[in-house]
Amino acid sequence: MKVVMLGWEYPPFKVGGLGTHCYGLTRSLADKDVKVDFYMPKTKHRSDSDKPNLVIKEVGETEIFPYDRPEDKELAGQFFEAVYRYNDILFQKVKGKYDVIHCHDWLTMKAGVALKEKTGAPLVVTVHSTEYDRSGWLYPNDWFINIEREGMEKADKIIAVSHFTKRIIVEKYGINPDKISVVHNAVYPIGEGEKKNIVLFLGRLTIQKGPEFFLKTAKKVLEHEDTRFVVAGMGDMLPHLIDKAIELGISNKVIFTGLLTEEEVKHIYQISSVYVMPSVSEPFGITALEAISAGTPTIVSKTAGVSETFQNCLRVDFWDTDEMANKIISLLRYDPLHSTLAKEGKREIELFTWDRVAEKTLNVYRGIT
Amino acid sequence: MPSVCFYFEVHQPMRLNRFSVFNIGQNTDSFSTYFDRKLNKEIFEKVANKCYLPTNKLLLDLIHEFDGKFRMSFSLTGTFVEYCEQFLPSVLDSFKELFHTGAVDLIEETYFHSLSSLFDELDEFEEQVKMHRQMIKRIFNYEPKVFRNTEAIYDNRIAKKIEELGYNGIITEGSERILGWRSPNFIYKPVNADLKVLLRNYKLSDDVGFRFSAHDWPGFPLTADKYAYWMSHCEGDIVNLFMDYETFGEHQWTETGIFDFIRHLPGEVLRHKHLDFVTVSEAVDRYETVGKIDAPWAISWADEDRDVSTWLGNDMQIACFNELRDIGRKLKKHDDKELLHAWRLLQTSDHLYYVSTKGLEDGNVHAYFSPYDVPYDGFINYMNILQDLKQKIE
Repeated sequence: MKVVMLGWEYPPFKVGGLGTHCYGLTRSLADKDVKVDFYMPKTKHRSDSDKPNLVIKEVGETEIFPYDRPEDKELAGQFFEAVYRYNDILFQKVKGKYDVIHCHDWLTMKAGVALKEKTGAPLVVTVHSTEYDRSGWLYPNDWFINIEREGMEKADKIIAVSHFTKRIIVEKYGINPDKISVVHNAVYPIGEGEKKNIVLFLGRLTIQKGPEFFLKTAKKVLEHEDTRFVVAGMGDMLPHLIDKAIELGISNKVIFTGLLTEEEVKHIYQISSVYVMPSVSEPFGITALEAISAGTPTIVSKTAGVSETFQNCLRVDFWDTDEMANKIISLLRYDPLHSTLAKEGKREIELFTWDRVAEKTLNVYRGIT
Repeated sequence: MPSVCFYFEVHQPMRLNRFSVFNIGQNTDSFSTYFDRKLNKEIFEKVANKCYLPTNKLLLDLIHEFDGKFRMSFSLTGTFVEYCEQFLPSVLDSFKELFHTGAVDLIEETYFHSLSSLFDELDEFEEQVKMHRQMIKRIFNYEPKVFRNTEAIYDNRIAKKIEELGYNGIITEGSERILGWRSPNFIYKPVNADLKVLLRNYKLSDDVGFRFSAHDWPGFPLTADKYAYWMSHCEGDIVNLFMDYETFGEHQWTETGIFDFIRHLPGEVLRHKHLDFVTVSEAVDRYETVGKIDAPWAISWADEDRDVSTWLGNDMQIACFNELRDIGRKLKKHDDKELLHAWRLLQTSDHLYYVSTKGLEDGNVHAYFSPYDVPYDGFINYMNILQDLKQKIE
């Protein structure tokens, strides 16, 4: 079987779950004798593959990242143009005969649809997040929604990263649930490190990820327990969050790291005692699996996709900062809770392999070829 | 001729309020802050209407219909009786009515359905057995002859204690751990005590308790005549069928046909001339022991493991149990009846059951019974309450 996959980010360059997913999926598909040509924009870091079945094809250049917002002032004017340009390049460059066209999220859906119409090959679309998630359900932008809807409608099959996302696709985009398969994400385990007294938030600093709830929780925890809070990642909310920490009087206990390298991300997971993912809207949340694989007990939003499939974690409503603080303090105070969650979490994480994701994705391909 | 010995466990725990770390040290009335009166009342009334009242009525009718030949035994926990007295005295009245038919026997246990038999010292256990004895005496004017420990937890030490306390018999699980190749359908004697041991036939008991409505079970659908036929082919003196009373109408809903099953069962059993029904007291009176059993380590009827790992299987459970024990040692030096009662209600085994992290099949059973999302939440809540109680006595 030969698949052309249209992506946007791929390690070493990646900022979100989409890149992580594409990396794990393409490599495991290659191991299953599927030939994959993976297209992505050229970046400063060259992406490469050591597997004969997997070819990374970098075409065109772009300044746009999958999670950028058109309202960013710096991107004003060129945002829409850049997206159209990349999709045009893909349409021109992808040649030859493929059994499946597979694209990920809105970024490449236009090219996917055009290629399907040109070649007649079936189209699979994986939805890692929707415009509703990325906007935190505040003022979702119709421009994205229209691209997403067209891609979903024209796709022969849709893969959603959770039932949570499947519901959004059905309810907000009006798609027939029968053509949507749910394939939960996976993780390459990170391995444990020596724990320090650190409570971690790691993710884009946007409304969607709920970093402000993390700070409000930190304030409540610090009234009862001495610990440090690390906010790792970048995003448009950073200045506001720094102000917020000062306003709450906890700026001496909160560290903002900015964007971390892959190695630094692994390290911070390993040394943290608690990982918190208070996302307002989280289709899956691979970071939770990464933290757990590093032996770090994890508190996740009840609605996050990972919540519906992973047992050995703690769940909270993202707005319930009292309960979040209760759970953080308990994890810091009660060693048996911490050690049991760490141990059972690592045991369960072994089930979340990219091989399983590839197998389920392959089943989706088989259903349409 | 095998006798059929039905015994039903009747128990409701006092479920806990949500109690966060921020609540520790912030209250004065332990009872109302620890226990969720509203939820407990709601659940009790629901189960009373789905199970206790209709099943008691059905059994009463059947006892009359078969002229006392349909016989059975009950064990009522102290917490259950407290619920009856607080919320629905008619439930207790219906048990009295059953008892007064003469076809119903009562079994002793710890008042709080506790794990006190696993403490290093057995003084607290003994007190709770005596509390139960006084309660049964007060309500039924009766003294049980047979004892069953919480979830049938049993070892040599417990057997010895129960002999000392004057009972004739004790009930536990028909586990291979103590039986080896031998059949549970006989009465045995502990290696170290003069007592008769009744062993649960877990296969036949769980056919009703767990598998009754399992469509993928080869025995499905279980009918009264099929079940009676299986019993009629049992070797031995006695078939001990012990199960949660909530099986009827609560774990197995009315729609599963569980009540029709019970309705037809006495007739189908008595159709076999060599079968009859006995209560637990009659069983220990009628049958002699055929061998000895040795239980240096505790067994129980819970989960696949049939040991105490259901309550003490992970570090969180052990931490809670040790905390509970340590609090007790300090508490006994105070003379505070209210705190003592709260501490004892916290000993009910259910609280630790909710903290179990056992996977797969057992985990599913745990999740069914648990008011918590995950065992970790159960731990946090319970441990926070224990910390509060500890602060109060320090």
